[in-house]
Amino acid sequence: MEGVAIIGAGQTRYGDFPEKGLKELFAEAYFEMLASVDRGFDPQLIQAAYIGCLSAGSGFQLGQLAPLLMGHVGLPHVYAVRVENACASGGYALYNAACAIASGKFNFVLAAGVEKMRDVSSTKGRYWLGISGDTEYERLAGLTFAGIYALMATRYMHEYGLKREHLAMVAVKNHRHAVANPKAQFRQEITLERALSGPPVAYPFTVWDCSPTSDGAAVVLLCNAKLAKSFTDRPVYLAGFGAASDYLAVHDRHTITSLHATRKAAAEAYKQAGIGPGDIDFAEVHDCFTIAEIMAYSDLGFCEEGQAHRLLEEGVTQLGGRRPVNVSGGLKAKGHPIGATGCGMAYEIFRQLRGEAREPSRQIPNARFALSHNVGGSGGTAAVFIYRRGD
Amino acid sequence: MGAHISIPMYQRAIPQRYRLVGQKCVKCGKVNFPPKAVCKYCLSSAEFAPVKLSGRGTVYSYTVIAGGGAPPEFAEIARCKGRYPVALVQLEEGPVIIAQLVDVPEEEEIFIGMPVEAVFRKIYEEEGVIRYGIKFRPA
Repeated sequence: MEGVAIIGAGQTRYGDFPEKGLKELFAEAYFEMLASVDRGFDPQLIQAAYIGCLSAGSGFQLGQLAPLLMGHVGLPHVYAVRVENACASGGYALYNAACAIASGKFNFVLAAGVEKMRDVSSTKGRYWLGISGDTEYERLAGLTFAGIYALMATRYMHEYGLKREHLAMVAVKNHRHAVANPKAQFRQEITLERALSGPPVAYPFTVWDCSPTSDGAAVVLLCNAKLAKSFTDRPVYLAGFGAASDYLAVHDRHTITSLHATRKAAAEAYKQAGIGPGDIDFAEVHDCFTIAEIMAYSDLGFCEEGQAHRLLEEGVTQLGGRRPVNVSGGLKAKGHPIGATGCGMAYEIFRQLRGEAREPSRQIPNARFALSHNVGGSGGTAAVFIYRRGD
Repeated sequence: MGAHISIPMYQRAIPQRYRLVGQKCVKCGKVNFPPKAVCKYCLSSAEFAPVKLSGRGTVYSYTVIAGGGAPPEFAEIARCKGRYPVALVQLEEGPVIIAQLVDVPEEEEIFIGMPVEAVFRKIYEEEGVIRYGIKFRPA
């Protein structure tokens, strides 16, 4: 298997951009990616592109989004395909791109994601955000995704003594992290009281437990590790990558306080990288709802099952803690343009591992290994990546 | 906005939606609901016998959907009721079902482990057709 390196990455700011469509968002991230390659890069070397997007089938562009976007940036003839696994679309684009390099078939591949969520009415938004579960059963009980994750949170509280305050602590931490991130959608702190007393969405969640709807794009340039040093002295290596599925519907799963897909994907990624959870210096995890970050701590091996909220109490996962999680602000505050999210995590880690977090206050010092974790829907799919600083 | 679950799609699942018909695996004897092509327990058999579930079970987990968190096709219910509880119910026969809870005067009365039974109720209306199905109430 060939080694995989990241040599460039770009991301739009996440947020509300009425003046930009899918093409404009993608091009903005693409050009930032090109400019980030230290010794320059001839885009005609790109052989393939995997582009994550959920909403393309929902009224913007029915099919063949990937060739549309590649033609827009002057690469009309490369292998191009859209990848869709709901909120893990970007992570699966990255996974497929990594496999394409590892197989030896291609040397230069784009992994990207883009989403335009703010153009849709909130009615339509809730309509299609609910269709990535088991529509015939979960949706017919009157649930959207917030409701499904709320079922997980209620059970977790019952089994492990989690309090609503712990959920709110995730939101407070990630909002605080986002303040210094110029790419984040919500750069404002919130208090614990405000998080707890926000408008209810689905017990035990208030609106502050939920990630927002966002516009945005992210583009990552992968190359065969043997070629990376021709383009930069500081590549970031994808040391391990794993992806796995689970039953789409929560009622079919053996447990709802853990995501089996995450556990299997993480095991695959750790094994390939030859390291364990204790070696990870920082992580970007999938906090679409606050309980999702709490479940991720134990599913990724950062703590024992049911002990995740202790990490929050002890400040382990905040910036300056032993293992910071979501220093970007996470989906919660950096934003969650669905298809872009998995690649936006890779962008954050690429910058952090190269010492380029922009604002010195949010730079994680001396990090060598990082992890990203991207979940589709309520855990029907998950992709996990382990990154190693290249020096 | 078109129908979320089309009428033909809904009708194909009427044995499940109206009568809670599951499938008993002829190999391992466990009950699958909703139906699978391959048994989700033994992962090897594709032969089943239909079995009508009792509708008796206990609350495995629950949430209360607020008006702002309801899907658009449930917006009218949310408007009338203000909010509505939804539960994962573990049935006596094993399967877990996701459905709304009704006849719960105070949502504080809901708890994990609460005994419940299935009732036949209106779910919602779409494409001008009332969709009936299963909800649960305290037993």
